[in-house]
Amino acid sequence: MSPVIPVGPYHPALEEPYKISLDCEGETIRDADIEVGFNFRAIEWLAERKNYVQALTLVERVCGICSNVHTLTLSRAVETIAGLEVPERARYIRVIVAEAERLHSHLLWAGVACELIGFQTLFMTCFALREQVMDVLEAISGNRVNYAMNRPGGVNRDIVDPAGVLAAARSIRTATERQLIPVLTTDRTVHARCAGVGLLTREDALALGAVGPTARASGLGQDIRRSAPYEIYDRLDFEVPVLTDGDVLARVTVRALEIVESCRIIEQAVEGMPEGPWSSRDFPRVPAGEACARIEGPRGEVFYYVASDGSDVPKRVRIRTPTFQNMPTVRPMVRGMTLADAPLIQASIDPCYSCTDR
Amino acid sequence: MDAEAILTGLATGDGWERRCDGSWAEVDDLDPRAMTRLLSKAEARWVTLTVIPAGEGFRLIYHWDLDGELLNIATTITGSCVPTIADLLPAAEWVEREMHDYYALEFLGRDETPALMLRPDDEPGLFSRTQDLGRDVDPAEYDERAAAECAGTAGAVTTPERGPS
Repeated sequence: MSPVIPVGPYHPALEEPYKISLDCEGETIRDADIEVGFNFRAIEWLAERKNYVQALTLVERVCGICSNVHTLTLSRAVETIAGLEVPERARYIRVIVAEAERLHSHLLWAGVACELIGFQTLFMTCFALREQVMDVLEAISGNRVNYAMNRPGGVNRDIVDPAGVLAAARSIRTATERQLIPVLTTDRTVHARCAGVGLLTREDALALGAVGPTARASGLGQDIRRSAPYEIYDRLDFEVPVLTDGDVLARVTVRALEIVESCRIIEQAVEGMPEGPWSSRDFPRVPAGEACARIEGPRGEVFYYVASDGSDVPKRVRIRTPTFQNMPTVRPMVRGMTLADAPLIQASIDPCYSCTDR
Repeated sequence: MDAEAILTGLATGDGWERRCDGSWAEVDDLDPRAMTRLLSKAEARWVTLTVIPAGEGFRLIYHWDLDGELLNIATTITGSCVPTIADLLPAAEWVEREMHDYYALEFLGRDETPALMLRPDDEPGLFSRTQDLGRDVDPAEYDERAAAECAGTAGAVTTPERGPS
């Protein structure tokens, strides 16, 4: 007998709606079928019926965790069409906020993963660290989510307390290096639950178009910040952690190492941030044209295509989020694994179904 | 294999247009399957497919990443049929289903194109069917008009001209 075990689309253990049907042979998973779209909001359709100011507000709601990356990507696409120059200070502020967002996303994910592993104390450590990032983001923007920082031509707010941002980045880096990484990489419990579990080969990662930490844990070294630098990333000293094991432990480790790198980036950006304006004065008139923009979000590459007919409403807005590409990788990951590993494996790609469904 | 070799392989006379957002090529009569084989051989990473309604057909832009360079290969088709590439490249499986949902694009060669964003019983082509909705009115006003239509009092809200933002 081969029972198919459905999980979702609405389940107490799922933060967001999706459905995975696990085809099992005893305790072993033979195959899986993934269904999404339960949170479909037709955001592309809606964005093509709103002016650019409204569309910015709308795309910030694509995701509740990496909201900043969506306004940044849309802003950069509009800037390309309009030929807008962004003030130097705004570029630094964009990078600081983007890396703070990556920190809070990775720490949130690490906490969730620790809970799934059964490691409650480390879960608390992750969330205590994350709270420091949330305080920084709240101090900068006034909000813990949906920061409304980006606009075509700059940012909406200055960073008035760079010393506070610097202190938080240093504190998080120290705690990550001294506590989080040693435990995540050497603890027996973590190792037992993660090593050799949920394998994604480099070949499968490439064939499925995987992005972000999921791809980098399977040996694909691409990071848009390095391969196609934007804002000030080409001037900053940071590493792109790449591992080749392709298992849950590799994905855990890549994100933990990226936390340290994000702190280093924030420290450099705060220390090098020049004085000066941080936004152009007026919202630009967008001429007819088209442009693509890519940003390395916490979960990987976020892609936007924007076409303008010269009116105040975009003619076409195409949004491809990282989880849209990463979600199908769960299928090869769970094959041959035990049923008990499935929750951790699907969580190991740091999925976001709101992003996927848009 | 670099970007120039890709274009040579696609047998297009025009070169890449280099822009700050990547390299662009307009290819008449593009063979998506030949393109996919070529780019997969070069270990280019699939990014996505953008579909734009264009008169009686569609403009399709295939986006790839070749060693960090964004390649945008565009073509225009008449009608709504295009060869599938999902059997050659699993990364394109979901986006073909998504574009079928939005524009009722038929990807020739697929055994089936199940809904991805829509529910199984929904009619595909949601964006095509509704392409004229909401474009000539202010979105806030549109919400009121839609509500009036739902309440059976369509026409109660007049359609205003779009003003400057």
